[in-house]
Amino acid sequence: MLNKLALSGIKHRIRDYSVLFSGLMIASAIFYMFMSLATNQTFLSSNSPAAATSFIFGFGIVLLAIITIVYVNYANTFLLSMRQKEYGMFMMLGAKSSKISRMIFVETFAIGAISTVIGTLIGILATGFVSKWIISVLDMQVKHFNSFYLPALLWTFVFFIVIFMFSAIRNSVSLRRSKVLTLLKRDSQPVKIKRNGVLKAIQAVLGLILLIIGYLSMWYAGQNPGFIYLGIPIALVTIVGGTYFTINSFVTAVIVMLKKNTKYSQKGLNNFTLSQLSFRINDYTKILSMVSIMFALALGAITVGLGFNNQIDNVVNGQNYYDVQLTNPDASQQKRLKSLNIDKKDVYNFKADDKNVYYRASEFKKQPLGFSQIDTQTMISKLGTSSDPSKSENARYELMNTRMPNQRTKEAKFVSDKAYSAINAKETTTVLVKTNSFKDNLAGIKAISKAEVKRYPVLKNAGGDKYSSYTLINGFFSGLEFMGFFLGIAFLAMLASCLMFKILSGANGDVKRYNMLYKIGTKQKVLRSAINKEIAVLFSVPAVLGIVHVLIGLQMFIKILYKPYAHIEIPFAIFIVLYLGYYFLTRYLYKKIVLK
Amino acid sequence: MQKIVEVQNVEKIYGKAGEKQFKALSDVNFEVKPGEFVGIMGASGSGKTTLLNILSTLDTPTSGQVEIAGQDITKLNNNQMADFRANKIGFIFQDFNLLENLTAYENIALPLALQNKPAKSIKPAVSSIAEKLGLTEILNHYPTELSGGQKQRVAAARALVHEPSIVFGDEPTGALDSKSARALMDTLTKINREDNVSILLVTHDPFSASFCDRILFIKDGEIGQELKKEDVSRAEYYQEILDSLGTFAE
Repeated sequence: MLNKLALSGIKHRIRDYSVLFSGLMIASAIFYMFMSLATNQTFLSSNSPAAATSFIFGFGIVLLAIITIVYVNYANTFLLSMRQKEYGMFMMLGAKSSKISRMIFVETFAIGAISTVIGTLIGILATGFVSKWIISVLDMQVKHFNSFYLPALLWTFVFFIVIFMFSAIRNSVSLRRSKVLTLLKRDSQPVKIKRNGVLKAIQAVLGLILLIIGYLSMWYAGQNPGFIYLGIPIALVTIVGGTYFTINSFVTAVIVMLKKNTKYSQKGLNNFTLSQLSFRINDYTKILSMVSIMFALALGAITVGLGFNNQIDNVVNGQNYYDVQLTNPDASQQKRLKSLNIDKKDVYNFKADDKNVYYRASEFKKQPLGFSQIDTQTMISKLGTSSDPSKSENARYELMNTRMPNQRTKEAKFVSDKAYSAINAKETTTVLVKTNSFKDNLAGIKAISKAEVKRYPVLKNAGGDKYSSYTLINGFFSGLEFMGFFLGIAFLAMLASCLMFKILSGANGDVKRYNMLYKIGTKQKVLRSAINKEIAVLFSVPAVLGIVHVLIGLQMFIKILYKPYAHIEIPFAIFIVLYLGYYFLTRYLYKKIVLK
Repeated sequence: MQKIVEVQNVEKIYGKAGEKQFKALSDVNFEVKPGEFVGIMGASGSGKTTLLNILSTLDTPTSGQVEIAGQDITKLNNNQMADFRANKIGFIFQDFNLLENLTAYENIALPLALQNKPAKSIKPAVSSIAEKLGLTEILNHYPTELSGGQKQRVAAARALVHEPSIVFGDEPTGALDSKSARALMDTLTKINREDNVSILLVTHDPFSASFCDRILFIKDGEIGQELKKEDVSRAEYYQEILDSLGTFAE
């Protein structure tokens, strides 16, 4: 009978339960997605050139595990806050506490198990979908990656079963210990007031100092890459602490200041919103700091991932000046050339004997040869042109790679037209083309390069043209980029749903407040805008801090990546769009709960 | 003389046509004059709360007309209703309904802030009503730091600060001990007399009702009897109420 009653209780609160279920499913889906990368050693080792990858992922697992535990904890509090009144009523009617605690145990565990199984299935689908999307959008080559990976699946199950087991035990113990009256009246338990100005001031100073230490250690690690293994843990500890204290004290100080400005605070519901926030901040400090750190890590991962993408362009452009090179092009190759947006097209002829290849010096006078060189110190590539390649080693190197592999070891001689005509050998024509942008013309360049390899199968393994450098380097960096993206999106989804959950779990307590405001004559529009503002602040505090962390954190990569701050708006935009999505969803769900 | 409240043929039926319906109010008619202190008494389920919800624009009648301060409130849209509540009505609830994250001062100032009154005018208004209700010392306290009686006086101050046309009380003494209940009723009487504020109280407590000038008894959704205080003492009036309840309940 009691079980039936408990089940009917769930039916009545189906909306709240759907929030709970979807949240937990997201958590297990993301956990699986991450584990499918992190536990796949073959994937990690074949896609990443850096030995640090395993270290980074190990670190990632620990962080994600901590967030997941915190997350499930919030979800659990949400569940308990929904159920305690009902269970309290059963107890009042005479149900034994042992029976009730068994019921909440079964309920918690069942919710956990069901959402984990469904969540993991979603995770498998999402892994397939997200990876395909990232791979196609970024033109990546990723090896040994499967959306279904058994060890990841097992890890996810074991991990979630263990934490739900603990949650279920905790819930049943907490119900068994609570008095019936406390359970029935928990909604109307008074809010504790804290007034400790001095402590807050100390926290503000401490927070700032810790943040500065963290930032300095990241900057120092960037200047001295050897320091990175020590720098990351130092930065992590100090920045976590600094963020916590800053949110707890600094944000409160801003709110107090705004409240003192009566022109602002005594207008509409501003004072109410500020008070809600200052109370919330006390309660939310932990989650807001965690979210801001996660935000920074996630955004950092995507930014660095894209940094590797920028690296591809830079390195590829440093390898070859010309985007396309053709040897004795036939009509169909000439036709394909027409599809490109050409900036510079040079045609050179040469003859070869056993030891040397001979070029006509006059051809270079008429159409100077372009070449590229990469400065190994700054990692910046420079382009140049030469009308006399005999005087430029870089130009000769560029020219060498435009010949067939069997001609590359021969020495290039630049001779007069007369001497050239006197050489009795077969003439070869090389057509070199530079487009306005390698990336924009990639499809056409790819087609020409493939056709060239078909004409000369020997080129398949020897490469030499820009497209084959691109394939090589793209393969090298794609793994890193993919991991960055994957890591970033997984973390973002997790942290935003954490924040969403925390906010929603407080919504039930707000129903009464908003109802009262409505009764004394607050328009629905004003109530909605107050909710929007409040949730906007709760979302933006960690985001702003997180963005600052990332901007300074990128200093760590200043020597590893070419221009780590270039195109930074792309990852930021992707991130903000996703994060805004969560903001709108939270605000929608919150209003559904709070406003009648 | 203009009436503050005028209720004509009000009927409230719950449940859609064709389904099982319940008549909560049936042909209710009464009026409240400016400066009157009126009580509505009835047992649980008699329709008191439904009537109060309609008077305070939180609910609409199925038929009939309700005019407050010369305005037909049954013809207002949602926004106009909210404005009407904010400007013309003061509320005192049984469970205080104070916002526990605002101080007493901020709670009292809320209706003025909602009307976007300039900040400069808010402080004197709050101080004046706080002084009248003896709250000056506790203005910086949060509700959790106050006793039940103090909380209800803060709620009363919030209901009065914007000088509404009428104050509605929904069992305002319901959650108070007898001493605090008496103090609150004394305060309301004083404000009613001195400032000519109209008050309409819904209660089932004969003691609170004995402070009113006139009591309307409601039973099964209909107003059945009216009891005026005239010139008797409060103690005598209290006895009259008890007698009326005895006969009315039968």
